[in-house]
Amino acid sequence: MRILLVEDTRDVGEAICKRFEATGHAVDWETNGRDAAEIIDFTDYALVILDVMLPGMNGFEILKHIRKSGNAVPVLVLTARSEIDDRVGALDLGADDYLVKPFDFRELEARARVLMRRRTGGEATNLIKCGDIAVDRAARSVHVGKREVQLKRRELTLLEVLVARPGRVFSKDELLDQIFGFDEAANANAIELYIGRLRKKLEGAKARIVTVRGLGYQLVSDDAP
Amino acid sequence: MRREPSLFARLARRISVVLGIGAALLVTAAWYYAETAANKAYDRLLVGAALQMSESLAVEDGILTVRLPTSAFELLGLAERDRIFYRVINTHGETLTGYDDLESPVPLDRIEDVSNAEEGFYKGEPVRIASAKRVLADPAVSGEAFVIVAQTNEARSALTRELTLRATILVLVMSLLAFVGAMLAIRYALQPVEHLGTAVRRRDPHDLTPVTVDVPRELDPFVGSINHFMGRLNERVDLLQRFIADAAHQIRTPLTALSAQIDLLGGDKLDKAGRQHYERVQERAGELARLTNQLLSHAMVIHRADSVQLEPISLVDVARRAYRAAIPITVDPDIVISFEAPDERPFVLGDAVSLREAIVNVIDNALRHGAKHRLEVRVRANDAEAFVEVEDDGPGIPPEGWERATQRFATSKSHEGSSGLGFAIALEVAKAHGGTLSFRARDERGFTVILALPLLKGGTS
Repeated sequence: MRILLVEDTRDVGEAICKRFEATGHAVDWETNGRDAAEIIDFTDYALVILDVMLPGMNGFEILKHIRKSGNAVPVLVLTARSEIDDRVGALDLGADDYLVKPFDFRELEARARVLMRRRTGGEATNLIKCGDIAVDRAARSVHVGKREVQLKRRELTLLEVLVARPGRVFSKDELLDQIFGFDEAANANAIELYIGRLRKKLEGAKARIVTVRGLGYQLVSDDAP
Repeated sequence: MRREPSLFARLARRISVVLGIGAALLVTAAWYYAETAANKAYDRLLVGAALQMSESLAVEDGILTVRLPTSAFELLGLAERDRIFYRVINTHGETLTGYDDLESPVPLDRIEDVSNAEEGFYKGEPVRIASAKRVLADPAVSGEAFVIVAQTNEARSALTRELTLRATILVLVMSLLAFVGAMLAIRYALQPVEHLGTAVRRRDPHDLTPVTVDVPRELDPFVGSINHFMGRLNERVDLLQRFIADAAHQIRTPLTALSAQIDLLGGDKLDKAGRQHYERVQERAGELARLTNQLLSHAMVIHRADSVQLEPISLVDVARRAYRAAIPITVDPDIVISFEAPDERPFVLGDAVSLREAIVNVIDNALRHGAKHRLEVRVRANDAEAFVEVEDDGPGIPPEGWERATQRFATSKSHEGSSGLGFAIALEVAKAHGGTLSFRARDERGFTVILALPLLKGGTS
């Protein structure tokens, strides 16, 4: 996918480019704020990574410019400003996420992935429930009773699949396809790993993931007759 | 260092010296007056006796005779223990009767009728001596005859002593009253100094706002100096905070570049030993980044504590935002991380930015040093307080290390390296909000860090 990076520190820009290019994305790297603002106007990007302190035009101004022109491209702001209010400010101005410098590059990559997926992913806004497990597909959050449980992306996908049709038995192959897609190489052991983690994270819930020997897995609510 | 004596001691000492000197002067004066009065009283008797005796001189058959009047001695006899000496001198200057060696201190030729009583000595004893002259105009005996009467000083000394003693008692009682009164007055007058001292002592060391204690006018320059000093200290501290913030901020850019370069280096191409070094460099860069952020955050939290107006905020919202910010996407997937909030939403009076910073730091600490398989963030409230609890299943901090844990850069044995500023930031924020940061010892579930804040009354919705 095509990413626009606006960053004036050479070392940092270089590293970000390399990292995203290594995972198969195309990165346009701009060091001047004004130039970047122009490019955004007639190029379609999957993600904009925006530094705040820039020559020409600062990141906030660019962000305002993007949102004013009705462009909904996901924006991740990188800030080094000392005032923490910046972070709040960035979100208020329509940034989708922010990272404070210095940041972990793996974290940047992970967050960028989330943002790009959010765009391409479904617009599901529905809340699915089973027992006292509630999955909000829009907010990508999971509640067990009053407790909000943090799930990893694949765990969440797995739970979404199971919770969508409680009681139905999903085979390992079926789950593999749903979670990893066809192009990713993964084996059945991965499913067992995710099921294990999910069970641990849903401990205490009024619904359980049941192993059906030889067939697969199903989510069973304790309330179910 | 020699301690300056207290104001009270100084005043007390000087006042007692003044009172002492005054009392001594008064007693001396009293003694003087008593002696004069005693002398006057007894001298009258003595002179009277001398006169009476001289009146009793008579010429009988051409011979000067003296018939000593008993009344004269009765008068003098009033002073029981005193001895009386007398001498009558005839016109020829010979002793007619009495003690031959009693001399008048006033030369006889200067005596007119009667002399006042004078000091003198007789037989080595101090006496008062009065003399009287009688001019005889008898054809047989003509000329001047003299009567000298002396009396020892016992009675008048006793009277002097008694009068002086009474006066002294009065003076002492008065002095004592004056001293006690003065001490009470000094104590009362010095009270504002003590109040001021207490007010300054009771201050939070971080409170550098001017002292506002009502003090007497005399202390105004002192309070003024304190406030002036506070102001300058405050400026210095501000400057230092700003410097730390600026420095941390300046460090960020090269640090980001550094971690970028480390990332570019990539550990994959290295051999085993090289990769170990690479990982250590990566780890250290991460530590440095975290510390820089904490320094900045600490400076900001302190700055906001006395510059930002607190407003009603929902603790659940703040805690949830902090929870989302504190937990990286790249966190170990085997840790069960959850957030639990009560149905009612407790409100507190606070600064959302500082509070979030505090909670983020507590969660971050738990992630780095605590949680093995489980990390729970909970918000709950009772009648008076709202709590943010961060519980993990790590080794926790033993109770004896709790106090140290909240100090800046404190290290503890159970933790690898320093916990940095995390708890110090949280504690600073808790204090600024009138709350507390506490720990719950590790039980079978885990170790808990509790941030407690006073609940905003009627704020739940």
